[in-house]
Amino acid sequence: MKDKTESIKQALLTVLALAVMVVIFGVFLMTQGVNPIQIYGDMIVSTLGNSYGIGQVVVKSSPFIMVAVATAISAKAGLVNVGGEGQLAIGALLATFVAVFVAKSMPGPVGILLMLVAGALGGAVWSGLAGLMKVKAGMNETLTTVIMNYIAYDIVSFFVYGILKDPESFSWPMSPEIADKLRLPEIYVGVSIGIFGAVAVAIVTWLVLKKSACGFRLRVIGGNAEAAKHAGFSVAKIQMAAMLISGAISGIAGMVEIAGVEGRLRTTTGVNYGYYGFLAAWMAWNNPLAAIITSVVIGFLCVAGNVLEQSSGLPSSGTKILMALVLLGILWKGKGRKKCS
Amino acid sequence: MKKKIWKKLMSVVLCGAMVFSMAGCGNTGGTNSSSEADSSAKTSSEKTDSKKTTVGFIFVGAKDDYGYNQAAYNASVAVEKHFGDQIQVLRQENVPETEEASRALEQMIQKGATVLFPTSYGHLEPAMDVAKKYPDVTFFHQGGLKTMDNLGTYFGTIWQSFYLCGIAAGANTKSNKLGFVASFPIPQVLANINAFELGAKSVNPDATTSVIFTGSWSDPALQTSSANTLIDKGIDVIAQHQDSTKTIVELCEQKGVYCVGDHADASELAPNTWLTGAVWHWDDLFIDMVQTAIDGKFDGSKYDGKYRGGLKEGVVDIAPFGKSVSEDTQKKIEEEKDKMINDDYNPFSDEIKDQKGNIVCKKGQTLTIDEIESMDYLVDGVIGSTK
Repeated sequence: MKDKTESIKQALLTVLALAVMVVIFGVFLMTQGVNPIQIYGDMIVSTLGNSYGIGQVVVKSSPFIMVAVATAISAKAGLVNVGGEGQLAIGALLATFVAVFVAKSMPGPVGILLMLVAGALGGAVWSGLAGLMKVKAGMNETLTTVIMNYIAYDIVSFFVYGILKDPESFSWPMSPEIADKLRLPEIYVGVSIGIFGAVAVAIVTWLVLKKSACGFRLRVIGGNAEAAKHAGFSVAKIQMAAMLISGAISGIAGMVEIAGVEGRLRTTTGVNYGYYGFLAAWMAWNNPLAAIITSVVIGFLCVAGNVLEQSSGLPSSGTKILMALVLLGILWKGKGRKKCS
Repeated sequence: MKKKIWKKLMSVVLCGAMVFSMAGCGNTGGTNSSSEADSSAKTSSEKTDSKKTTVGFIFVGAKDDYGYNQAAYNASVAVEKHFGDQIQVLRQENVPETEEASRALEQMIQKGATVLFPTSYGHLEPAMDVAKKYPDVTFFHQGGLKTMDNLGTYFGTIWQSFYLCGIAAGANTKSNKLGFVASFPIPQVLANINAFELGAKSVNPDATTSVIFTGSWSDPALQTSSANTLIDKGIDVIAQHQDSTKTIVELCEQKGVYCVGDHADASELAPNTWLTGAVWHWDDLFIDMVQTAIDGKFDGSKYDGKYRGGLKEGVVDIAPFGKSVSEDTQKKIEEEKDKMINDDYNPFSDEIKDQKGNIVCKKGQTLTIDEIESMDYLVDGVIGSTK
């Protein structure tokens, strides 16, 4: 009984926190001579009020969901994996490689499957390197994964400027467009089946973490690695596995971005998606199911932010301010929840 | 554990409810475009029936970058002023050259836009994707080399301006070493570097131009390190092809190195070291293009395809001279400019060799605009590689 009133109180507090942020931004809009009610209405109607807008929110959220789930898995094992960005990039790179050089003459489904494997492999190699540095050399994985994001960006650039460059692009750095048969099938206006993958990954991860022995071991290690070691757990092995799975999921996010959204690789493909996904995971306190919702919130803000800018005439930093306020609101509210677990 | 998740879910659902309730407010507040936004399938031709034409602009960088985006942004303001109540203008800055650009364009169409200006080179492919879906929307792409039925590209022969800037640089250098901070090794950029070197060599045969490609339109950190590298090599004039010119121009002023601007006049940032710069005058062109589209005369017009304007058409020009440019040099530059405007003089003529000594332009030959826009080489005297 006490819990119920508590949860209602918490929910109301979240609403309050968000409302305060929305009002603060509204006041800011007013100081800029913009009618906030009109703008908010426009943002919502043009994003959620038509099939294209809804589709785009889903498209934008899919990679965030996958990276958020990936971040959550490593977090449960006590690892802070900030490398979703780089793992996604390497996954996208390998998937594009396969699409451009290997899968061209294959039947579509086989090619897509191969791209998927390549994407997962790329992400896993990238996170695996950070994992090795952690378990073998004791290097801090937060730092190594961040640094490897930059290296991944440079590696992608190297190939996009080099052998992956589209010969018809007049030296513009981008890969050739992948064949139509290698594109993921569309299920809704502009939305590929990638979203199913993302949601499925989130649900499976949630189930495994919660119900299975593996999940239990992971959580014990995340709770107290030292104690887990004394209890006979092979901490290094399990942490390594968590990193590999985490990277593979981010790598698949990169593959989906290529095969489902962009159709070609550029140096700017998926830039910042890793960080948004990371944010989504931490906003959801590393719960894979809640991460779906936080990812959609971020995706919505990204897509609606375009409308905000187009309608209000404010500079693009306006969108960032709103996003920061809303995220702060959620984080602020989220605090205090992680009392005991 | 279970309760916690419910708590979280509940809170998010409630947030959603709140957000939706605001949507209600928005409707009663009433925006002219939102009522139309519900049917994405509705073609734009229905919307042009209403008096107002909606014109959308997307920019890859910030609208106040003392450069490429500012030049295009200012022209979008000129369009708005010129047409007044006749049109509604939508703008979005910092739009990346990915599917994000398709999204921004498509969202503008949802808001009723029938004329769109994707203004960056890399916006072309995303814009073509959208153009395929909306054959009734007219697209004017800035700088592209591919066109479609409803997508024309416009640009200016800004290498003419760079040739003139090269004269100023060649006359002012003491070390005979010029520097160029470039973005991507695409033909338009190479043409500017080559024209700059040819201009410098026309008054100073010993002048060489060292080029660094940053692989970015506007990365202040890379701009700074590239310019510093050039300065450390003893280079005393730095030109650039970047979207945002502020960082390098200010750095030049600090280090006492002459600078040549690009896209927009940034002389106020470097009162002591400013020589001149290549600038765009998009205003009249943009207004004319929008007028053509409003009149429904795009098909078959000069903008339906590749339109290129130059000094003659007033699309490109050079910025005001800085105080270090001598009167003689100014006179020489004005003469050359006159020749280009009145005699169709093209600096890419007569014998020109590339870096390896291959002849890329024979004696008596003049390169066509198409040849210039497909350049993949750097001319003799330029130090650096396109790879």
